[in-house]
Amino acid sequence: MRGASDLTTGPLSIGNFVNLIRQTVKQDKLFQNQAIKGEVSQWKQYPSGHTYFTLRDNVGQMSAVIWQGRCLIDPSIKEGSEVVVIASVDLYAKQGRIQLVVDKIEPVNAIGKMEEALRKLKLKLRQEGAFDRPRKRLPLVPKHIAIVTGTGSAALSDMNRLIENRWPGLRRTIIGVLVQGENSVQEIVRGLAVARKLSDPEIAKQRNQPPVDVIIVGRGGGSPEDLWSFNLEPVARAIIASQIPVISAVGHESDLLVSDMVADVRASTPSNAIERCVPDYNAIQMLLADYNERIDSATIRQFSDARSRLKLLTSMLKAAPMAGINNVKIKMQRLTMRLNSSSQSIISQEKSRMVKFEASLKAVHPQRVLERGYSMIQDDSGEVLSKLDQLSIGQNIKMNFADGKAEASIINLEKKGK
Amino acid sequence: MKKGKTYDEAVSRLEEIVASLERGGKGLDETLQLYEEGAVLLKQCQEDLKSAEGKLNELRLEDIEKEISDD
Repeated sequence: MRGASDLTTGPLSIGNFVNLIRQTVKQDKLFQNQAIKGEVSQWKQYPSGHTYFTLRDNVGQMSAVIWQGRCLIDPSIKEGSEVVVIASVDLYAKQGRIQLVVDKIEPVNAIGKMEEALRKLKLKLRQEGAFDRPRKRLPLVPKHIAIVTGTGSAALSDMNRLIENRWPGLRRTIIGVLVQGENSVQEIVRGLAVARKLSDPEIAKQRNQPPVDVIIVGRGGGSPEDLWSFNLEPVARAIIASQIPVISAVGHESDLLVSDMVADVRASTPSNAIERCVPDYNAIQMLLADYNERIDSATIRQFSDARSRLKLLTSMLKAAPMAGINNVKIKMQRLTMRLNSSSQSIISQEKSRMVKFEASLKAVHPQRVLERGYSMIQDDSGEVLSKLDQLSIGQNIKMNFADGKAEASIINLEKKGK
Repeated sequence: MKKGKTYDEAVSRLEEIVASLERGGKGLDETLQLYEEGAVLLKQCQEDLKSAEGKLNELRLEDIEKEISDD
């Protein structure tokens, strides 16, 4: 450093000293490409094309310059506008004046407009059902991946490397597009249209390739402005229009864009998109080998089961006739025994019943009653008289005893009672 | 896959076949049929995996648009 050597030999020239300050400021990242917010005052656009103004707020201020053609200046910016600038600090040595050199200037209300447009788009898509439409499933093994992303980008080389690790030589078509800046929306939409065409079986046949069966659209990380194209309606529409699954892979984990919300799969990063759709080749081979082995061993087991079942049946069949005859014999014996014993008991029961019946019959014969001291009275006609009312005084009656008969005449009647 | 089954369909049918054979209780004719179907599907899957390999096409948007419209 020239200034440093001067320091040792004597007083420093003011020019060198100012340049020392300038170098220090330019080396400090804090003062370079910084986003700064403030209010515009003393806005002056010169015929040379340069624009000078002061950026200020209640606490401080600094003069600023926009060199001719450096960036587009929103015509709405005027005295008093709230703006955000991307600017670097520089020191103009000739005047010893420190100033902001502006690379980009946006009115704050314009940024507000973008946010407002995003809010409206989300609302519209939600009302259409675009966020909860049925999602298409990724194929187990993609035959042809289309990747719509920036040519030569770090995101692309990450994706390519990851694919080669997982499935060397997997077919893919990379469609290089701009992913930020004014033309990016249009290019992303066209890139998606190309990918959709390649998914058409007819076109694929003409090109002698399998049709594209997965589309990845995305880019690496960046500022919200860099990623903004993926928040715009044409890109969302192009994703929704696809007949095959689309993976949105924009920025980092924390970036959630409209493209993520409408895609069939949201990958947190471009690398994650590959992890989601490209299986590990060896794992797939192992899976198929496993199916093969299980089918073989299950079939063999079925056959050996069938063989041993056959053996068992054969031996059972051989033993069957003898076993049958023995069974019948035993049954017959049992039945005969039961029959014999039950008929025996029925006969003896009947016998004893008859004896009892005879005895009771004997007991009720009239002769037996007379023997016990009773007599039976009949009238002349032979009718048995059992009640007093059947008698009258002077009537002749016949009295029967066990050992003979007597005749008598009624001389008195005395009724039982009160 | 020529006979109309995609790789995904072939794999899900293979899963059914494996489960069915492992459950057992099938007649020998049916067992043999399943075995043969499984063998055919495995071969188809292997061929299908080969078809996933191809060249890497990397083109700028304009070039690939031109290529497709030329077809």
